[in-house]
Parts: sequence; structure tokens; C-alpha cells
Amino acid sequence: MMEAVVDGLGMLVTTPIALAAGGGVAWGILGGALPGISPSISMALLLPFTYGMEPHSAIVLLAATYVGAEYGGSIPAILIHTPGTNAAAATLLDGYPMKLQGRGGEALGISLYSGVIGGFIGLLVLMVLTRPLADLALRFTPMSYFALGVLGLGVIASLAGPSLLKGLAAVLLGLMVATVGSDPVSGVPRFTFGQPDLLDGVAPILVMVGLFAVSELFLQASREVWNRASSASARIRWPGARMRRRLLKPQLIGSAVGTVEGVIPGAGGTIAAFLSYNEARRWSRAPEEFGRGSPEGIAAPETANNAVAATALVPLLSFGIPGSNSAAVLLGGFLVHGLLPGPQLFDENADAVVGLYTGLFVANLSLLVIGGAALPVCLWLVNRPRPILMAFIYALILSGIYSINGSLFDLGLTLAAGMAGVVLRVLGFPLLPAVLGVVLGSLVESNYRRSLLLSGGAHSIFLEDPAAVVLLSIAALLVSGSVIARIRSGSKQEHA
Amino acid sequence: MTRTAALLGILGILPAAGAGCATEDAAPDAAGTYPHAVVTFVTHSSPGGGSDVFLRAMASRLGPRMGVDFVVENVTGGGGARAMSRVANAPPDGSIFYAATPSFIFTSLLSRPANTYADLDPIVNVFLDQEVVYTRAESPFETLGDVIRKARSGAGRWGAASPGSLERQALERLARAADVEAAIISHDGGGDLILNVLNGTLDIGVGEAQEIRGQLDTRRLRLLAVFSAARLPGLPAVPTVAESGYEVVVTKFRGLTGPPGTPPDIVRAWEHAVRDLLADPEYREVYSGAMLSAAYMPRAEFSVFLEAFATDTETFLRESGVID
Repeated sequence: MMEAVVDGLGMLVTTPIALAAGGGVAWGILGGALPGISPSISMALLLPFTYGMEPHSAIVLLAATYVGAEYGGSIPAILIHTPGTNAAAATLLDGYPMKLQGRGGEALGISLYSGVIGGFIGLLVLMVLTRPLADLALRFTPMSYFALGVLGLGVIASLAGPSLLKGLAAVLLGLMVATVGSDPVSGVPRFTFGQPDLLDGVAPILVMVGLFAVSELFLQASREVWNRASSASARIRWPGARMRRRLLKPQLIGSAVGTVEGVIPGAGGTIAAFLSYNEARRWSRAPEEFGRGSPEGIAAPETANNAVAATALVPLLSFGIPGSNSAAVLLGGFLVHGLLPGPQLFDENADAVVGLYTGLFVANLSLLVIGGAALPVCLWLVNRPRPILMAFIYALILSGIYSINGSLFDLGLTLAAGMAGVVLRVLGFPLLPAVLGVVLGSLVESNYRRSLLLSGGAHSIFLEDPAAVVLLSIAALLVSGSVIARIRSGSKQEHA
Repeated sequence: MTRTAALLGILGILPAAGAGCATEDAAPDAAGTYPHAVVTFVTHSSPGGGSDVFLRAMASRLGPRMGVDFVVENVTGGGGARAMSRVANAPPDGSIFYAATPSFIFTSLLSRPANTYADLDPIVNVFLDQEVVYTRAESPFETLGDVIRKARSGAGRWGAASPGSLERQALERLARAADVEAAIISHDGGGDLILNVLNGTLDIGVGEAQEIRGQLDTRRLRLLAVFSAARLPGLPAVPTVAESGYEVVVTKFRGLTGPPGTPPDIVRAWEHAVRDLLADPEYREVYSGAMLSAAYMPRAEFSVFLEAFATDTETFLRESGVID
């Protein structure tokens, strides 16, 4: 392996891989930062340009775009309460409060620093553990996916905010939205009201952007905050030695969760980000800071989603099966150049694999440099006078959403979600459970129904699947732990 | 669906890339005679998806032959409903076409959008994609008959990539022809399906041969049968489903349709162009490598074919209680 790494570093000098890595990262950050442009769309837009490129550079360019985009989503999440990608929604929970406290530069520094760490750890895992992790991916049956979705929903027990009941109401709302679209088993349209635009369901990114970003814009326009001058300096602040020590634990949690979730095809960065956020809070010395601008609350999900960007390549490299939409585009990049990912790739085209690893390494390095250079610009932008900024954000969000499908209907949906967000926030309902419901609803529903089809209707099938049993037990532990903690702190407050 | 499409498409990009240098010196036999300098291909698949790649690969070779610049427009969403309505409401002057696959018939029947397949004029069919039945290498099944025998005991578990799809229908028909009850599980795309066959959750999966090329090469999956009418030239050892004793033939077409009222001379130009293109030996090598079979059908034949396909599908969906 060492020899391969040395060879790989040699490739940096002889081929324009470094250029591809840097360019990909820059493009990815841009795509990730634009709400609506997902990592896979950023990559797909580049794909035609790679046809004429030398294979190694082409693959590195695409992989680097993925790395950049997974990071880029956190920039608008922190600065304007708008998750640029699905996976960045967890980053917003603490990033935006930090920005409001004038600590935007610090929040961006932490997210970039953690993203780079997550990227490196994910890469290390990818290089060393691809084969054992591939076995894990293969163990995932519909029963296990159902259990994974339940585990994700279990996060709500601790993230519901002050009222568990309101949290449950919000998650139900999210799950209801997730039932819109074609039935996952029969293909018959459900709750589409004859509207063809609803046949594919409601994309989670529309709901997220609406609930978080649009509702924030609406509320800001009606509040004093409108006039509050933004005095934050346009400088990015890197975490100091003490902060770095503090971030170690959430980063460790983020990398562990991100590594595992990345490997499981279809699980993806969003669940990883929320699970690691929740665990970071559980194990933190200052859990009360979470949701009010905790640096740890940024570090955990950002480490997780960048670790996912690397380990999502495990099923692709070991079976040739893309674990995410982004990995599917990367698969395209491989095939265009006559490389067929799968076990044989390591034997027949080992240099392509080493090239990919090297490219990811350089991509993470360039992320640090390019991200560091781009952030002051973003900070400067959001420190412009309020009216200009608000107009800019509306334009950014609406054009981003429109560009996904070129659909005015999507815009209406996003604005409607924004209205719903205002109502929920005014009535004190937490937004996060609603978003999780939308993200996880179809995963849970379709795999539940698939499992029951397999068993002929017997629920015992969930107990016969080892991975499902493990995940469901963890979910039960987490939920009961959170509920007990909630009851205890509740009674403490009564006595106080 | 999206993932299958992406996977499929990506496999198909290979010919597109290979085509790059070959088109330069292709003889432009009919160049300049087509009434439009720019022609738009509309597809419901996203960039890199199945139809997207089919169109781009074809466009790169047809461009010089017809003297036309082709633009591929991805109108995604609504299972093809948005793309269909885009073309159905466009001027029928030969400047815009829609890449039709079975999904445009499925969406028309299942979702009943404002514009359906009936609002589009068939122009010409180009390819047939072959559906194959596969199982994991270490499974106990040697033939399709073994799979059916297991299903007869009531424990059959079969998989298709997505719910409203031709693959799903192929399996339902197989179960009916063999008179067995099997659990037919649909997925969110080809990737999940392949994993569930590999880890033994499912007995068999159905999909296009090119989707599982990697697993076939490394002998992780084995083919049991093909749904085509005759054995495939590329896979002479694999029996058809009909040879295995179950009269089921399933055809996935890839063709072009246009706005209603597309004039006959435009249709004729396309019939000639596609027929000549498919005969090009270089292109033939590319598409047979991707396991596509050339299936040139001029308008008259394609219309009859689509009509029959739609009637069959509708009857089937009605009988299985999916629509009423």
C-alpha cells in the first residue's frame, strides 16, 4: 500500500491531476453552495467535459467535485439559513445561530476544518478497509433499510425541542408529505390531485429550503432584526488549539457515523449528518449549547458528510454498484474511459484506483485552500445592507430551485413550504422533525412494505435479519435514553 | 427509477464517447436537405440517464449524416409526463422529437396526465433493449424451471427495479404463465435490486443485460433466461423464457415520436436516416457491445407496434387490478 501511495504522489507531478482536483473542488463548492444544485447535478454537468480528458484526470475531476459539493452546502446553511445540499441541513442548526451572534467567520472555519478532517478519515478508511466494508454493504436487506430509517427517525426523540408532542406532530406532517407521489410498490399515483409535477413526490430539498430559508426570510422581513446592523468582520477564523481539542470528539463521532452510512448504498449523507449531530449532542459536555450556536454541532455533521463522500465509493469500487446519485455519475466517468468498477478494477487497473485515491487526497487539500479563499467573499456578501442581501437571497434560492427541473411548480411548492414554515415556527413547532419525516418517509415506507411482501405479511421477518435487529435495538436504546433524560430534566425543572 | 436510468445511461455513454472521433469523417450523404438546422430531442431522463445517452450517442452520428445540429433537452419529472406535454404541444414541423420507451406508455396509463402517448405521432423505432433473468452465482438455481419449482412451494421471491415498469410486468406475466404465486418486489433502482439478488434476499432479478455486465464478468451473477423472442447473438448459451416453457416475450423499445401531425416527408427523412445509421458497421459494433438490438421500424410498423404494446399493457394492468 505504501508503495502505491508513493507511486500516486509521483502521478501528481507527471499528470495534471492536481489541476483536476483543484478545479473539481472549486466547481463543487460553487454547485454545493447553490441551493437546489445537488452534488450529483454538479458532477453531471461536468461529465460531458470529461469525455476527451485523460482517464485519471477525468475521474479525479468528478470525485473532487463530489468532495467540494458536500462541503459547499454548508456555506449557505451557516450564512443564510439555507441548506445548499440535503446533507447540510444539520449544519444549519448551529451554524446559523453562530452567524447571528456575529461568529459567522468562526462557524465557517470550523465547518471547513471539520470537512477536511472528515474527508481525510473517509479516504483512509476507503484505502484500507474497502473489502471488509463491502461485506457490510452486502448485508443490507430491505429489513435493514427499514431499521436504518427507524433509527434516523429516532433522532427526533432528542431533537424535538421543548415539547415532544409538537415534535411528533411535526414528524407526522413530514411523513405525510413523503407519501405524495407514485406508490413505491404498485406505481399508482397517491395524493397527486391530477398534478403531473407531483408524480415523483415532493423533493426533500424543496421542503428544506422552504421550511428553513424562505420562512426565515419571511420572518426577518417582519422583525426588528431587519434593521440590526451586521457588524461581523469578513474574516474567516480558524479554530485555535483549545477549540480543536473540543472538536475532537464530535469529529470522531462524525467520521464513525459517516463511514458506516457512506458504505450503505442509498443511506447517504443526510441521515449520517443528523445521526452524528444527535450523538455529538448526547456525548457533549455542553449539550445545552446545541441549537444555540455550538461549534460541536457544526463539526459533527460536517465531518460526517465529508466522510460519506469518500466511503460512498466503497460499493462502487467493490461491486460496481453506485451507492448514491453522485456515485452513479462517477460510475459514468469510469465507464466512459473503458474502466469497469468492481473487484476486477483493483487487479486490472490498479493505477486508476491509486489515481482516484491520490486525487481525493489532493482534493481535500485543495478544499482547505480554495475554501479558505472563497469564504471571505461569501462573508463579505452576506454583510451587505439588509435590503440588498434579502433580495440577493431570494434570487439565489428561487433560481437554484428553478434550475433543478425548470419548473415553476417547484417554486410554488418551495414558497408554500416557506409559508408552512412560518406557521410552524410561530406556533412553536420544531422544523427539524418535519424535515426528517420528508427525508426518511419513503425509505421507511418502501422498505417496510418490501419486507412484508417478502415474508407474506409476517412481521417476524424483521427479527430474523441480524442487521435489522442490531439497528432496531440501537434505535430503541436511543429513544428510551432520550425520553428518560427528558423526563428527568422535566422533573428537575419543576423542583427548581 | 432514477438510479436505474443513470446506471443504464452511463453504460451507454461508452458508445457516445467512442463515437467522438468516428463521426468526423462519416460521409454526409443527406446533408443539408433537412428543413431545420437545429433539431431538439426531448427526453424524460436526466443527463446521463438511459434515453439521454441513447439520444446523445445517436445525435453525434446522425448530425453529420443529416446536416443538423441536435440539442438534447432533459425535461425530467412526472415519470415523463412533463416531457410528453412539452412535445405534444410543440409545432409539428420536424424540429422537435421525444425519445419514447415503454415508460411513456406506463405513465400514460397509470397516471393519466393531460398529454399521453396517444397525443404523440410515432416516427421510427431504433432499438430493442433485452431483458434478462439473473441469479447470484452461488444460488441453487440452474434453470428458470428451478426458480419456478421453488415458487410453486409458495416461497418465491423475485425482484424488479421499479414499480410501474416493464420488468415488473415481465415477472407478473411469468408468474401467471407458470401459474405460481411469487412475491414480486420492486425497488428504487437497479442498484438496490442487484444487491438484494447478491445477498440472497431475492431468488432472481430482471433487468437489462448491460446493467449487470460487471457482475457477469466477475461471475457474481449468472443468467438464467432472456425475455426476447429468440436467443441473443451475444449470449447464445442463454435460453429464452419461452424455451424454458413459459410463453412470455417482453420487448423494451427505444424509438422517436413527434408532435401530432408531423408531415410525411419529415417522417420519411427520419426513416431513411435511422435505417442507414443502423446499418453502419462501426455503429453496429458500438451498440451490439451495449447489448442493444437494432430494430428499425418505419412509421407504419411502429404505430401498429405501439398500439399493440399499449393495448397489451392496459389489459394487463386492468387484469392485475392496478388501474380500473
